[in-house]
Amino acid sequence: QKLVKAKMISPNCLFCHIIRQRSQRHLIYYHIREIKAANPHNREARTYGIRNFFFVLICRNYKGDVDMAEIDHFLPLLMQHEEEGLLCPVLSHGNVHFMWIKHSNLYLVATTNKNSNASLVYSFLYKLVEVFTEYFKELEEESIQDNFVVVYELLDELMDFGFPQTTDSKILQEYITQQGTKLEVAKSKVPTTVTNAVSWRSEGIKYKKNEVFIDVIESINVLVNANGNVMSSDIVGSIKLKTMLSGMPELRLGLNDRVLFALTGRDKGKTVVMEDVKFHQCVRLSRFESDRTISFIPPDGESELMSYRINTHVKPLIWIESVIEKFSHSRVEIMVKAKGQFKKQSVANNVEVRVPVPSDADSPKFKTSTGTAKYVPEKNMVVWTIKSFPGGKEFLMRAHFGLPSVENNELEGKPPITVKFEIPYFTVSGIQVRYMKIIEKSGYQALPWVRYITQSGGTLIRLQYNMTYCFRNVFYLSKGSDVEM
Amino acid sequence: MPYLGSEDAVRELRRALSNPNVQSDQLRYRNTILKVIRLPSLVEYVEQPLTAGLKDRAACVRRVAVLGWAKLHNLQPNSEIDAAVVNELYTLLRDPDPVVMVNCLRALEEILKEEGGVAINKPITHHLLKRLKESDVWGQCEVLRILQRYRPQSEDELFDILSLLDASLVSPHPPVMAATLSLFLSLCSGLPAVNLAALERVRAPLLAACGSVSREMRFTALCHIQLLLRSLPGLMGAHYKRFFCGYAEPAYIKQRKMQVLVELVNDENVAMLLDELKGYCTDVNADTAQAAISAIGRIGRSYSDRCLEILTGLLGLKQEHITSAVVQTMRDLVWVCPQCSDTVCLALEGCEETLQDSQGRQALLWLLAVYGERISSAPYTLEVFIDGVRSEASLGVKMELLTTTMRLFLCRPAETQDMLGRLLHYCIEEETDMCVRDQALLYYRLLHCGIEETQKVLQGRRSDPSLGVLIGRPAEPISQWACSFNTLKPLRQGSVETESASRGSPEHVTFDPKPNTDLSDTLDCSQTETLLYKLIIFAHKTHVVYKIQCFIIKYPTIYKPTSRAGSKPFGCPRRD
Repeated sequence: QKLVKAKMISPNCLFCHIIRQRSQRHLIYYHIREIKAANPHNREARTYGIRNFFFVLICRNYKGDVDMAEIDHFLPLLMQHEEEGLLCPVLSHGNVHFMWIKHSNLYLVATTNKNSNASLVYSFLYKLVEVFTEYFKELEEESIQDNFVVVYELLDELMDFGFPQTTDSKILQEYITQQGTKLEVAKSKVPTTVTNAVSWRSEGIKYKKNEVFIDVIESINVLVNANGNVMSSDIVGSIKLKTMLSGMPELRLGLNDRVLFALTGRDKGKTVVMEDVKFHQCVRLSRFESDRTISFIPPDGESELMSYRINTHVKPLIWIESVIEKFSHSRVEIMVKAKGQFKKQSVANNVEVRVPVPSDADSPKFKTSTGTAKYVPEKNMVVWTIKSFPGGKEFLMRAHFGLPSVENNELEGKPPITVKFEIPYFTVSGIQVRYMKIIEKSGYQALPWVRYITQSGGTLIRLQYNMTYCFRNVFYLSKGSDVEM
Repeated sequence: MPYLGSEDAVRELRRALSNPNVQSDQLRYRNTILKVIRLPSLVEYVEQPLTAGLKDRAACVRRVAVLGWAKLHNLQPNSEIDAAVVNELYTLLRDPDPVVMVNCLRALEEILKEEGGVAINKPITHHLLKRLKESDVWGQCEVLRILQRYRPQSEDELFDILSLLDASLVSPHPPVMAATLSLFLSLCSGLPAVNLAALERVRAPLLAACGSVSREMRFTALCHIQLLLRSLPGLMGAHYKRFFCGYAEPAYIKQRKMQVLVELVNDENVAMLLDELKGYCTDVNADTAQAAISAIGRIGRSYSDRCLEILTGLLGLKQEHITSAVVQTMRDLVWVCPQCSDTVCLALEGCEETLQDSQGRQALLWLLAVYGERISSAPYTLEVFIDGVRSEASLGVKMELLTTTMRLFLCRPAETQDMLGRLLHYCIEEETDMCVRDQALLYYRLLHCGIEETQKVLQGRRSDPSLGVLIGRPAEPISQWACSFNTLKPLRQGSVETESASRGSPEHVTFDPKPNTDLSDTLDCSQTETLLYKLIIFAHKTHVVYKIQCFIIKYPTIYKPTSRAGSKPFGCPRRD
């Protein structure tokens, strides 16, 4: 095993091993970007400074109808398209198509010479990332180099002859273990789950205390334009389970689903209409479709049971008003007011307001009525953090930056203000877990625990920029410029 | 490779394979088969374990064995197909393990490739449909894809199948949803009403896919929505906000979203949409900004006043890439909406200073040529171009400049005569590029034929000749794109389209270059002139001057053929 590892590190040894998906091959590309530019404003220095090193880290050809050498065309193509700004998830060279995704600094590339099903290929690539992440915590160059044997084993197991096979990481983990050496010993026993009807749960799980934890997490996405109008808003919710139950329990979850209530003729209390409901494969879809019952045999440990989207008009829970004034060649003054527009009893935790500033700003000075503000120069923003933000309250932050008298000529983007927060014990949509029934043959008592959290998926407040922003004589103002401190 | 090739490895594999009970150790069996299947020299040893593997009790062995046969066939594509194996595989379609079932389909597809793949009859179809729910996402997609080949015998059967599939149509997994829709479209190709209902039904899951976390999935969904919109332009009208771009989205998604937004515009949302698009025009990414501007131009075909206001406002920014895109957009807009020309003529004044790239300058020249008499400063603008022609690098600009000067000369001879002379002189005497020189010679000889002849050739159209006949694009029949749905093709399509639409003169976009390839003598004279004009314009873009020459030889009334070899050009019109 050591020998293998040593060989792999040398970049010119294309130690490729093979895979395919209906004539596709998967490769994992390694990409380092070294930026040596001392002065980021000097364009020349920058182009010289960037050096790209790519090499094929691992490769598996499943069918062999695409030449292994074809992948050499991927890198130049990628770089060329990136330079021209025409990057696209499908790149083609001759009759070979490269479908790629990027995960941190790795590229996962599938190659095909057929008119194959694009959505399936991308799903598989993401599945690959998911499985590797479950195995190695983080999918990066090192984790692959340290686990070549397992990676090959997994690639073999996930796909055979170009067709996806066992892709459930829970099941894979039972017979492909982290230690390559152990694999030889443990080989002879294939878990029953591979052949089982319930492929996501093994038999014979035992816990002393039977418990199940249910997290209802809702994240709200709001886009506010410069005039203060809510452009779009939606709620994306998910119900996560942490199951610690023995045996093969049968669970039933009751929600205050409006369709269900309408079916059963009850209409007391608040109900919600869910759209785009997605379930974990364990949920019996046929039952849900016939009578909206969510019944399932849960996978062991943590899993996402379902996700949904609610398309209602929600007002931003934390409202931001900002005045950003840029006096060219001298200073930028920023004033941001944040107002909690949720119930007084609730408290938002870890509120983060990110305000963009010009990239050449310097000497920051802050004044806040609560929380702390910090300048993050590498991201060109001020991060204002408030640990706890009670509903109905209003806070202010003022920032002052100096600007150099000589300005850079780079065009700058117009990032919006982003707000992040988390409100526990509260869901915007009002969704509730009414009951969780747990039935097991042995008839043990089990406790369900429920927790609600609302997060911001990204509240974006676009700033109003004078059109002249493009060439730097900026003066950008947002609604409510009459705020007094 | 770690486990192929070496003698030790081969010896060990052979030993493992000669063990009659190799499949009793399930994982070893799998590993051995996987390795061996790539070594042609070991093929003879594999058949026995594979046959035994098909009958094994463990599902995981059967899975490997089934695909093993497909691989074996792939290794020796010319070998005879073993009927017994094929029969065995058909029997295994009834295997209790869903993965074995799907693998059988895949293997049969591969082995029977020559005969058109696995045979799908009624019992197999019904069996597969019944067990569809048991398979995972990958298996479902495979089954749905293969079922596309089945033709139901009666309408009742068809509708039974459709109702069975209805649940998968709104599946939360985009690949399954897309595969089901694809199957629907192929099954009911004769029933447009059912197809429409299916498309309505997938709207929600498709929109959900557009908001998926993975950008590649989002991109794929957007491309497929574009396909649907070709037949059903009103499908997503109410959901236009879902296609607004996020700040951090990559350029390829933004550009696709804008293409979709253009299709969704209607009286109610036009103000919101334009407001949103206006915001994208100042994007840092120049390509995104240009795409936004041309999107506004497209909307301008139906809402010209609002759009022109925005476009004129953008000129005020005096940004190089924005001005260039705006001028190109205006040119394309004027070509289809001649009523905009007044505003455009006013807006054009003074923008030549900001224009740098050849595309933009070409567009400006085209506009000057067509509306030269209304733009008071046109000759002065042109003069700057002509003075700089020596340092001009772009061939396209030079060609356009020649045509523009000629056309301007026709409507404002007094101001232009002098510079036309200088330009023709330069192009004929000093220019090294054959295309430009030929073009200049052509114009020069044209002038010799008299002003009327020249006018006949050069007074081209100012707007799209098809205008008025065609309002909006007709909805395409679904069958046009049904076969490419859920494949790679839609992802590649759009990008090519936008490229050609954003480049070149408007005539080029609308003029179908096909007739060019087989010019026949049957053309009557009136056609000839328009065609010649079109050819000249077309030649600007494609540099096919020789074709025009061939053509002109046929019609010597316009052009006197001369020998080109080593000919010293005729004297040029000089200002003496």
